[in-house]
Amino acid sequence: MIAARPMPSQEIARAARAELEPPPLITGYQDDGTITKSILDFVWKRPSRGWWALFFLGLTGTGILSIAVAVTVARGIGMWGNNVPVGWAFGIVNFVWWIGIGHAGTLISAILLLFQQKWRTSINRFAEAMTLFAVMQAGLYPILHLGRPWFAYYLFPYPSTLKMWPQFKSPLMWDVFAVSTYLLTSLLFWYLGLIPDLASMRDASTGRRRRQIYGIFALGWRGSARHWHHYKIAYLLLAGLATPLVISVHTIVSFDFAVALLPGWHTTVFPPYFVAGAVFSGFAMVITLIVPARKFMKLDHLVTKVHLEAMNKVILVTGLIVFYGYAMEHFVAWYSGNEYEFHQFFFTRPRGPLRYAYFTQMFCNVLVPQIFWFKRARTSIAIMWIASILINVGMWCERFVIVVLSLHQDFLPSSWAVYSPTIVDISIFAGTMGFFGALFLLFLKFIPAVAISEIKELQLEMRHQHANVPYQPSELEAVKP
Amino acid sequence: MPPLKSRSLPVLDGSPDSSSRAQASERTWRGPGEYASGRERSPEFEPGVDQPPAGTSRRDLLQLLGASVAFAGLSGCFKPPDDKILPYTRQPEEIVPGNPLHYATSTMLGGYATGLLVTSFEGRPTKIEGNPEHPGSLGSSGVHEQAALLQLYDPQRAAVVQQHGKPRSFRDYLVTMNARVPLLKARGGETLRLLVPPSSSPLIGNLRERILAAYPRARIVTWSAAPLSAQASNDGAVLAFGAPYETRLELSRARVIASLDADLLSSMPGNLQHLRGFAGNRDPKSPMNRLYAVETSLSVTGMSADHRLRLKPSELERFSLALLGRLGKQIPSLARFSPLAGKIVLAKEQARFADALAKDLLRAGKESVVVAGARQTALTQAACQLINATLGSEAVTWSRPVLHDADAGPRALLSLVEEMRAGKVETLLIAAHNPVHGAPFDLAFGAALSRVPVSVYSSPYFDETAERAAWHLPAAHELETWGDGRALDGTVTFQQPLIAPLFGGVSEIELYSSLLGEGDRGAYAQLRDFWRGKGASDAAWERSIADGFVPGTAAAAETPAVRIDEIARAAEQVAAASAPGLGSMGLELNVVPDYKTYDGRFANNAWLQELPDPVTKLTWDNAALISQDTARELGLESGDLVDLGLRGPPVHAPVLIVPGHADGTITVSLGYGRRGAEKTAENVGFDIAPLRHANSPWFDSGLTVAKVERKYPIALTQEHFSMEGRKLAVSASLEQYRSKETQESLEALRTKNDSVHAPVEYPGYRWAMAIDLGRCTGCNACTIACQAENNISVVGKDGVGKSREMHWLRIDRYFTGEDLNNPAVITQPMLCQHCESAPCEYVCPVNATVHSDEGLNEMVYNRCVGTRYCSNNCPYKVRRFNFFNYTGAFTDTEKMVFNPDVTVRARGVMEKCTFCVQRIERVRIKSRVEAREIREGELVTACQQACPAGAIAFGSLNDPKSQVVAWNEDDRHYYVLNELGTRPRVAYLARVTNPNPELA
Repeated sequence: MIAARPMPSQEIARAARAELEPPPLITGYQDDGTITKSILDFVWKRPSRGWWALFFLGLTGTGILSIAVAVTVARGIGMWGNNVPVGWAFGIVNFVWWIGIGHAGTLISAILLLFQQKWRTSINRFAEAMTLFAVMQAGLYPILHLGRPWFAYYLFPYPSTLKMWPQFKSPLMWDVFAVSTYLLTSLLFWYLGLIPDLASMRDASTGRRRRQIYGIFALGWRGSARHWHHYKIAYLLLAGLATPLVISVHTIVSFDFAVALLPGWHTTVFPPYFVAGAVFSGFAMVITLIVPARKFMKLDHLVTKVHLEAMNKVILVTGLIVFYGYAMEHFVAWYSGNEYEFHQFFFTRPRGPLRYAYFTQMFCNVLVPQIFWFKRARTSIAIMWIASILINVGMWCERFVIVVLSLHQDFLPSSWAVYSPTIVDISIFAGTMGFFGALFLLFLKFIPAVAISEIKELQLEMRHQHANVPYQPSELEAVKP
Repeated sequence: MPPLKSRSLPVLDGSPDSSSRAQASERTWRGPGEYASGRERSPEFEPGVDQPPAGTSRRDLLQLLGASVAFAGLSGCFKPPDDKILPYTRQPEEIVPGNPLHYATSTMLGGYATGLLVTSFEGRPTKIEGNPEHPGSLGSSGVHEQAALLQLYDPQRAAVVQQHGKPRSFRDYLVTMNARVPLLKARGGETLRLLVPPSSSPLIGNLRERILAAYPRARIVTWSAAPLSAQASNDGAVLAFGAPYETRLELSRARVIASLDADLLSSMPGNLQHLRGFAGNRDPKSPMNRLYAVETSLSVTGMSADHRLRLKPSELERFSLALLGRLGKQIPSLARFSPLAGKIVLAKEQARFADALAKDLLRAGKESVVVAGARQTALTQAACQLINATLGSEAVTWSRPVLHDADAGPRALLSLVEEMRAGKVETLLIAAHNPVHGAPFDLAFGAALSRVPVSVYSSPYFDETAERAAWHLPAAHELETWGDGRALDGTVTFQQPLIAPLFGGVSEIELYSSLLGEGDRGAYAQLRDFWRGKGASDAAWERSIADGFVPGTAAAAETPAVRIDEIARAAEQVAAASAPGLGSMGLELNVVPDYKTYDGRFANNAWLQELPDPVTKLTWDNAALISQDTARELGLESGDLVDLGLRGPPVHAPVLIVPGHADGTITVSLGYGRRGAEKTAENVGFDIAPLRHANSPWFDSGLTVAKVERKYPIALTQEHFSMEGRKLAVSASLEQYRSKETQESLEALRTKNDSVHAPVEYPGYRWAMAIDLGRCTGCNACTIACQAENNISVVGKDGVGKSREMHWLRIDRYFTGEDLNNPAVITQPMLCQHCESAPCEYVCPVNATVHSDEGLNEMVYNRCVGTRYCSNNCPYKVRRFNFFNYTGAFTDTEKMVFNPDVTVRARGVMEKCTFCVQRIERVRIKSRVEAREIREGELVTACQQACPAGAIAFGSLNDPKSQVVAWNEDDRHYYVLNELGTRPRVAYLARVTNPNPELA
């Protein structure tokens, strides 16, 4: 009874697609030329007043950072608020916070690449740059927080005439390897991905000097099939190398705490919970940065709500893992019957003198991400931006709670004491934010913030995919020859 | 070898001397074509490559380059030190550089001598210890003896003789004085007065006699701000016996000890002996003593008491009479006092306490003792003497006063000030400590002093009194001068200098001699002549100086008859007059000498300022101590500033709530709020002088408190006072201790956890420590001894406020029990536990803290980069971090205080208790030289040596005879945080208290 059902099979297919197919990752009509232009426009243009204002702010922060670092090195770690029960405070809190932020970059570039998640393409460059700069900030702290930073090289296994080696049982030692490997791999990965784009810039640039500079950094890329062949292999290999790092770095950072016997640190749930927390905060930071950036750089056709929504979903999932971590910490503290643990989780944190940090942490990390159950929230620019900032605050508080609150009330009540940061502590933290911002603005100004070659590839893939189906998809009907 | 002309020379250059070339001259070819072409095949190696290169080779170049860089750097890096190091031209006998010598000497506090042994490196005293033979020390020492060392090197000490602020020499002073002597003598010394500190020195006694003989109308007034020399105890003895007597206690003979405001174990003279006697009977395996403390503010004695009753100062006299009354009901000879029990109505709690105490005293009979504090009224003192005499207490002996002037105190000072005001005093010599600061406020001593034309004041610092005196003579430190004195029991004790006066100080002996025209003779000549006059032969003299004292010179014990009628009369007056309700007159004031600064004389001592008060844990301040309930009534919290007023200008002071303090009373301590040239002490704490009046210097009522709307930062070393129910400092009553439950719980606290690691063998020495909490009173002697021994830095009030104090050994003090007003207190010395499985070691990334093969947890300072991870992971939080460069800017004299055996730590490194590894090594060297093992008792740590209670044992666990092994096998021993599996090498012996079942 074919006649009785007049709907052609193509129509059915189209209706079904409309239901199942996600919205496109790139909106509007784009060809290679428009893609290159839209991405590189920001680089070629003179920086706007807004850029200068923000850059000046970043430089001010960098200046404050330099002064605070100089004061710390000249006078001693006593300029910070640390004391004897609280041997670690702002230094380590900020270290873990920055390292955590760095996680989104590697996750997006490596793991999502291996899982062939197409939506990573528009944001991976951005996230990788963020990772790189965040890890640079993070790297400052472990050196600065030393009592004698000029002997930081003792932590490296170098052939010393004293025949002394570092102590490989110490998680701080593992940190040295984990963080330096991470920084190196992230840098390589980022740079490798950048090479075709640098070549595009060399080719598209107008001035002689620009062409030379971009030419040097493009390392002689000509875009030949052979180049692409090697490039793809290298990129995939690096992605494979970087993938375990996503897990390992924050796992090892969590060992700094989990390996110790302090109540509040000595927890087996730390490695997965730290990794999830890192991804959680990293994605939040990407949202925080990309939301204004895509607007000012006019990239909303490349970084669409589809991307943002996907990231919000990751935030929701990792947020739930983090929440599970919190719940487990409390549960085990109660279930184990360990009086020190119990005191830490049920007295020190919710009722101690620094309880505000604990409640901020719980509000920002547990309650706030729940809003992403709603599609309207996931796709609302304003909501996601505010939520992402709150999550970053919450994740900072989480580290503060773990580091400081665990330390300030441990086994012997006689040595309990309260911690408060000094102006130097705060200056260094604010300074690293400024430094990070300045680096990021320079990145936006000089380097394509979205991977041009990958976008073009995606564009072609999309076209190819749709060209193969036995009908003309509606969204491509508008394509002009 | 001739140089090759060029590397590119053709092979056949015809040099005949080279064999290689000769060989190469044989023509070789690879094929006919090559042969035909006539070209040479290029050799694989150029000719001459097997020869050493001539000229400058690459290797030579690099060597030269390296060497020139190194030498160029060398000239820029090192400059020969400016200091010249010269050998002795004549090696002094006995001095071996690097090997310390020990000398016997003594210090005086409150007029009594404590025998000491001082360690000296190349003529530089670096450590003070008790003299084990001396009855006043028994080998231990208190905080003031230990800390005296720092004051020796204090650069703020006065260094110049001054007349009205102008620098003079001591010679100038003698010239002036010699000119004055005939004038004074002509009038019999009518206008001459001396204000002197309490003294027992035989030489000074002799000088006093000679002065009074030369100036018959002169008067010598003895005074000291601290209560030891207060007139009340003398009055009490006069009331009880009709003559001044001093009471000596041998607490080891007492089974029931009652202290009525007497801080037997800490601030009272003889405390080192008392503590030894008391602590000896705190082992539950032998008969235990029982200590009752009745007091206003919590004292060290009160913290150690089995029962403590808190009373307002005004109630104490009545309490003592009530106790006497209760005893009167049972003892026929005291029957006339029995009505007192009915007449004096005590509060319910107090009555219950008095009943139980009276019964216990009766039961113990001869083995009981009641002691009244020196600040208490004469009647209270007499009542206690009467009880002791009636019960026949074996712990008490009476003797004629050892001090020259038993009647010393504000009363004597009052008449002096009146004379000064009236202009009757023209020449005044002051050797007493800083009367302008310490004298009762209403005497206005400062103003009176300004009216004296020629006033001469000798003190170590240019202090408040020095500003107003005509002449100021810097006083020599006790380690800088000769002298003598008597211990509390009368034993003659000598003082010998360890070092020439660093700041040109003058001794008390020289000061008095200046009145006799002998001011230039020096202290040694005076002392030697005096004792020669007493028949001391050269040999005996040498021995006495070497021993530090003359054995067998203790004052004879007497049994004076008690004047029971006099006491009864006085008691009746009080009972009739007394009406409860003094409390309605407002708050009461309770003034105590400070545990650290005493009466202010130790105020400039940074070690003592930073030493936490044994009770409140307050540093760098004094505070208005108040009970929780009273604070709530007044709407005050710890750290609030208040204005205290008592018939005088208000005193600004911060409030500090102390559990166990009596309600309605505020306790303040002497010795703070110093002005003058003492920079360390300047403006530390508040001066309570305006609250003190000559007729009531210790207790008063009518105190007003007004809250100032401002907070004052107070620096406590311990902010949290509760143990949170954790088993850290374990305490049990005798009954509980014998129960199976306690034994099992202690067993659990010492059972070693299973470990996945293979146990480490310690075949040689296995250093370990054991600490008996039953003996520890929290007196702090160990803390300061450790500080002196181990060059521990001082961080100041700001540092302590930020919890950065550096003490390697601290005393944790916990309050337990439900009632905040009557808490039980336990003190626990806490130091590095030298865990066998140390949490600090595995987290250090640079191997800066490692384990020795004898079980010491060692710090490698020059390897430490300061991650502070070890401190974070230390469950005992005994590691200390150099947050700043605390050892940077020291003057030349300050540097001398350091123990050369111990590294001075730099900024940014971690440090902690080493178990006095430098002492271990010294003893090890000695034992190795003698080819033997280290003997028990040969090796003592600084804390162990200082501890008056003998609460610390140290030794090798592999030595079955050692005390530390015995204590490690005691059924009271346990480990703190044993469940963590750290396997500490410090065992604690649980404290067992001996409460009276009737008061349970």
